[in-house]
Amino acid sequence: MINYLYKTLQIDITYSVNSTLYSLKKLPFMKGLITEDTYNSKLIKRIIGGIGLLLSILRSITFKFIYFYGLIFICEKLFSKNSTNAFIHVYFFLTLLGLFINNKLLNTSTKKYFSLIVFQMDGDKFFKANLLWNILTSSLLNAFMLLFVVRFFLPDFLILQGIVLLIITIEARIIGECFNIIFYQKYHYLWYNNTKLYFTIMIILLGLSALPYWNIVLKMNNIQIISILLFGISIPCIIYLLKLKNYSLIYKRINYIVNPMNTKQEKDYLKQAMVDLKDKDKKINDNKLKNKKGYDLFNTIFFERHKEILLRSARNYALIFIVIYIVLGYIMINYPNYNQSIGHFLHVKLATFVLIMYFINRGSIVTQAMFYNCDHAMLRYNFYREPQVILGLFKKRLEIVAKVNLIPAIVIGIGNVFLLIISSENIALGTLITTFLFIISLSIFFSVHYLVIYYLLQPYNKQMEVKKISYSFVTLGTYIISYWISGIVLTSEVLSIIGLILVLFYIAIALLLVQKIAPRTFKLY
Amino acid sequence: MKLEIIELNKSYGEKEVLKNINFTFEEGKIYGLLGRNGAGKTTFFNSINKDIDIESGRFYLDNEYGRNKLETKDIGYVLSTPVVPEFLTGREFLQFFIDINKDKIDSSKTIDDYFTLVQLKPEDQKLLLKDYSHGMKNKMQILINIIANPKIILLDEPLTSLDIVAQEEMKQLLKVLKKDHIIILSTHILELATDLCDEIVILSNKKLEIIPKDDVNIKKYKDKIITMLKEEKDD
Repeated sequence: MINYLYKTLQIDITYSVNSTLYSLKKLPFMKGLITEDTYNSKLIKRIIGGIGLLLSILRSITFKFIYFYGLIFICEKLFSKNSTNAFIHVYFFLTLLGLFINNKLLNTSTKKYFSLIVFQMDGDKFFKANLLWNILTSSLLNAFMLLFVVRFFLPDFLILQGIVLLIITIEARIIGECFNIIFYQKYHYLWYNNTKLYFTIMIILLGLSALPYWNIVLKMNNIQIISILLFGISIPCIIYLLKLKNYSLIYKRINYIVNPMNTKQEKDYLKQAMVDLKDKDKKINDNKLKNKKGYDLFNTIFFERHKEILLRSARNYALIFIVIYIVLGYIMINYPNYNQSIGHFLHVKLATFVLIMYFINRGSIVTQAMFYNCDHAMLRYNFYREPQVILGLFKKRLEIVAKVNLIPAIVIGIGNVFLLIISSENIALGTLITTFLFIISLSIFFSVHYLVIYYLLQPYNKQMEVKKISYSFVTLGTYIISYWISGIVLTSEVLSIIGLILVLFYIAIALLLVQKIAPRTFKLY
Repeated sequence: MKLEIIELNKSYGEKEVLKNINFTFEEGKIYGLLGRNGAGKTTFFNSINKDIDIESGRFYLDNEYGRNKLETKDIGYVLSTPVVPEFLTGREFLQFFIDINKDKIDSSKTIDDYFTLVQLKPEDQKLLLKDYSHGMKNKMQILINIIANPKIILLDEPLTSLDIVAQEEMKQLLKVLKKDHIIILSTHILELATDLCDEIVILSNKKLEIIPKDDVNIKKYKDKIITMLKEEKDD
């Protein structure tokens, strides 16, 4: 069994080492340093494996620490008079909640996929090795937290109390895994896929854990009795788990449903689902296609079939902002204090809208839909890769993406003008116009930006994974810069004028770059 | 018409896949490209089609207009895994393709004629391509790649996903098409290669080599091909 555990850990580490090397190789400055030979170098692999292992241990400790510290912090803040007992109470109920939701054996992971499906390991031995490993590691971590960390922050927390809670944690883990498997065996689905049941259990246990708020705390004596009861339940559970014979089969079925060959791919499936065609878009009104031919027809069909994905969130944002502006307008008219502060905010902190416009822009989801549902296939055809076709489609797409994003932008632009008018009677017309144009230009900027980086850095490979690290850097950079700009304090007139100039400048350069470079860069890798 | 490949070299990292390949393919023939797994058949096609960067190599098309550099528009490339734009129906996809290539396409044929060519039923033509089976997608892909009349047709394992009736139809179609095209077809099925192809080319030890049919009987010819494939050196 130890051998099995060692093998699965080895697969896990090899997988993460090779993926780390692969990612590092993609960095421009690492190109010459990591060659094909690096994959065979034991020393480098050991170093990276060692660092990876260390980091994963540190990560587990950090997460556990955050969890425990968070609980202690909440108990101290909310129940300062009785924080230790409140902690015991909350910890107990959250552990029971963990019993249901912290499912290690039936969840799907890369390690399991490779071990069980690809390497066809003996499922039962694998299962037992992992069961014991999970109990051992979580017990060690929890023991450290309960006996040292908690006692450090809550000096009146006794060692005996720590031991009782630790035993309950182990019992909960065993009973939880057993419950999950029995449920699956009986009903052929994972219990938490039953939303009603999931929320009922969540609400009940979260509700019980919040009882200290009303000064109701489960006494330690009761917890000790429950722990003995749980011990009684966990014995048949562990026997059941150790006798389980068809773990491979269960896992294969779950894996078939979830299909996560690895977590990255799982994310891609989710992404793909996000850009999946919606049924109501399948039928297109004939009038919309009338007189359209070639790429115009192609593009129209693409946007008509993705209307729901593209327009839905833009419309929702527009509606949300209409409500927000009406509420703010009402507040400003009725409460003069707020009138002043909101007016002041719009005057000097208009830059905040850079971040808001960043968040509401649909550019990234639109380009994703373009790739998954269209370019991924079409870029394999030579006629689609002709420079004039690439540029022609870029222009048409830009027009549509910009229009979609303008829906909430116009609402926000008008909303700001509306609030500025309420805030002061002497507002200059120039201020209103520049403020409005600033928002519109930001919207156009993000539309251009996402489409341009998609065309210049086409980040996906044939398997639809984001493989270009430069694309990830640019998207991260976009966020950081937007965040940084949003903190700038400048009067709205100055900011609007500077913003407008910069945006126009950026758009001109970006379009020029697309013209020059996109025919070479917009391809499949 | 001839397709000339001159000094083609392609490596992945330090691994050389194609080494100094010089070869000429001629019009009117179907070439069967054989090679062991990983020999570089798809890499060879991708190199011609400019899908991947190559270390070196030149491609020329020599015909009645002279000797010109090969352009991607001269090539129709049928992939082993068909990839089609899933948001279009089969009919919309074909219509779109005919629209944009109308100057190259035989105008005497209607869209229905093309569907008849690949035996795609009217009710299937209206389905979104995302709902097509692998074989149906493959039919669409083959259709798209042949109707624009490219001078060179590259087919990577094209018939494997088709049912036996469709395979037979496709074989007949390729036999008709070869008259004024250069067709290169990669396959792992020796029978298909010997049955359909006029020339067998082996990609082995990073080089292309033609296996002359001579006058030997088919059994001996097949044995000869297998022996040659077995001889691939491991390096």
